[in-house]
Amino acid sequence: MTDTAREEILGRINQALGRRGGGEYVSSSSGTVPAGSPTGGEGHSSAAEAPHAQPGAPAAGGGTVDQSADYFRTGTHEGEELIELLVDRLEDYKANVHRVSGDPAATIAGLIESGSAIVVPRGLDDSWLQDFTGEVSVDAPGQELSVPELDAQAAVVTASAVAIAQTGTIVLDGSPECGRRAITLVPDHHVCVVRVADIVDIVPEGVARLRPSAALTFISGPSATSDIELKRVEGVHGPRTLDVVIVDT
Amino acid sequence: MTFLGMPLLPSKRRDSDPIPGGQGNIFEDESFAEVSHQHLSNQQLRNNIGHATSTIRDKRSEVVAELDDWEALREAGSRTKNHVMENLPEYLAEFEANFTDQGGIIHWARDADEANAIVTELVEANAPILDSGRREVIKVKSMATEEIGLNEHLETQGVDAFETDLAELIVQLGDDKPSHILVPAIHRNRNEIRDIFEEKMPDAGELTNDPVDLAEAARRHLRHKFLTTKVAVSGANFGIADTGSLGVVESEGNGRMCLTLPETLITVMGIEKLLPSFDDLEVFLQLLPRSSTGERMNPYTSFWTGVTEGDGPQNVHLVILDNGRTRALADEHGRTALNCIRCSACMNVCPVYERTGGHAYGSTYPGPIGAILSPLMTGVEAEENGSLPYASSLCGACYDVCPVKINIPEILVHLRNEDVEANHSPVSSQLDGALTGASWMMSDAKRMTAAESGIPFAHAVTGGDQINSLPGIAGAWTSSRDIPGLPEKSFRQLWAESEGESHGGSDGEEDGKSEGEGDER
Ligand code: SF4
Repeated sequence: MTDTAREEILGRINQALGRRGGGEYVSSSSGTVPAGSPTGGEGHSSAAEAPHAQPGAPAAGGGTVDQSADYFRTGTHEGEELIELLVDRLEDYKANVHRVSGDPAATIAGLIESGSAIVVPRGLDDSWLQDFTGEVSVDAPGQELSVPELDAQAAVVTASAVAIAQTGTIVLDGSPECGRRAITLVPDHHVCVVRVADIVDIVPEGVARLRPSAALTFISGPSATSDIELKRVEGVHGPRTLDVVIVDT
Repeated sequence: MTFLGMPLLPSKRRDSDPIPGGQGNIFEDESFAEVSHQHLSNQQLRNNIGHATSTIRDKRSEVVAELDDWEALREAGSRTKNHVMENLPEYLAEFEANFTDQGGIIHWARDADEANAIVTELVEANAPILDSGRREVIKVKSMATEEIGLNEHLETQGVDAFETDLAELIVQLGDDKPSHILVPAIHRNRNEIRDIFEEKMPDAGELTNDPVDLAEAARRHLRHKFLTTKVAVSGANFGIADTGSLGVVESEGNGRMCLTLPETLITVMGIEKLLPSFDDLEVFLQLLPRSSTGERMNPYTSFWTGVTEGDGPQNVHLVILDNGRTRALADEHGRTALNCIRCSACMNVCPVYERTGGHAYGSTYPGPIGAILSPLMTGVEAEENGSLPYASSLCGACYDVCPVKINIPEILVHLRNEDVEANHSPVSSQLDGALTGASWMMSDAKRMTAAESGIPFAHAVTGGDQINSLPGIAGAWTSSRDIPGLPEKSFRQLWAESEGESHGGSDGEEDGKSEGEGDER
């Protein structure tokens, strides 16, 4: 049933676009392929991951996309200014920010009540927890905590893949030190470590650093709603407390 | 010279085998002029909507003004979406191959009925029957599923669908319809919400009307569902062709809950949601949050690509939905409406929407975008959808704020012409409706100002020449007499300028309006 639906929808699209023989679908592997990323995409090999993409091939509909985008690809903030921008934007969206140079262990331990139970992803730097006294569960493939177990954790401690200063956004990418998505979602308190080297200025720089096929979570402050009379309320379903530890090593 | 929807041109797309229109909640069932009257008399609604639109409008202006390259981003967004529509079969195939490669399963649905049947079948196969004798799914806000009436359908099939977005929950518990696509419960105030919660949440107990308390009640109410429900249904903001990834943009974390914890995830996405490349997110992740909630970035955005081993749902489905989108695509003067990323900015600047609210538009898609999208998806002949393109003063504010630069006023004029051709040849009973609209417009000085600010646009349409034909219902009138060309500015505008309260300085070159910010009313 749905195979017919597929052919029919693709046929309707061809008809709608006024292509010859509407109803007949021109396979994308037969040379009529879309151009690659309309916005350039240097620094990526995204085309290589797409079996059908042939960058530079003329667009089937006659519309070639201007490869030169005139929006900003890089920001202007650097060094201390860049870090301060990130701090400002994180605080604006009600994250708690802590800056550390060197070892973050004492800072992390100070954020979580001693004696409580926490979960960490398997790839987390052990030294970050050396000052914490409490029960640490390591979530790893084959030893995943169940949802009720996660629900019983007081906090989760992870690293992060990228932080975007301009928007106050931290990205988790499912790597061993970020963990699978559920561990940063169910516990009510997320302590997230950001390395200074992972801070970029603007969104395009952040997107360029990500692995596109990973399960990605962009986090900008704790969960929030403005659904009741537009009054912003922090903390609905995601972790209600977000502590960001910025580490300058 | 761009096409400006001059009336009475022969339409080019009438082919012998028209593409079928969509079904579901995309119909206006009474003419807009009549139904808007009922809503205008609801003072509470008008106050709430007015407050919401002006607040979000201001927030948006502030964060947009922070970006010096905003116009370049809009241009890139518009170009990318146009390119996607022109190459849609190829991008769909590329997306399909990549999503499938990663273990995702794709289903195609020609219309609402077919999509509802596919989702029902998947739910029956994956959600257990509970003690109540019914099945349950959790849902994250999705306009596509609202459009196809999925919840109502599932209910008849023994499945309870729980909306998890706070506003959608308020709407659902209140047995209501969303009035705004971004803040769907904005027509309810805190007291009404407390009453709804106390009545419909068995375990809520006594609540105050403090939004913090009410949000907490929703958290408690839904948490058990999140942690135990086996099947979730979502929409998608983006489908990325070159990776096969899907993305959902949200605030509360209910999206993450639905996308992460259940065993089975079913996403319903319109064919038009594709972006060519992951890199395009560098544009759209800037355009959408700033245009939508007026935030630099929304709290949470999730991307997933088919099945991620050991992380999240391991049974991942996507229903790719047509339901009238191909019909909209076939209209070469209207197809850019499909570029819409559902940010709702156009609603918040619309003087008509601000006064009538979203319910007056009948469809899931309200406001300026709804006034074009619904008739494009169904055809102007369907029910009263031909009345929707008149729900505008053509002031052009929607075009100015649209992050993908959809020229809504131009498409409105085009559709009025279609409506005249299809429904009012040569004169029709809807004259009454149009006159009602006119008397509403003229009975209030503020509305009149809003309508007159459309004059520069109309001037651009006509090039200042004598006007021989007018769109819509007025066309019947101008067919027998000519009227003089429109002045570049209305008397009111000239007066205001001479008083030193100058407007933005645009007098209608080409687009008939100035670009950029500070132009919002
Ligand atoms: S038409 Fe433009 S402004 Fe309106 S919701 Fe769609 S993208 Fe936003």
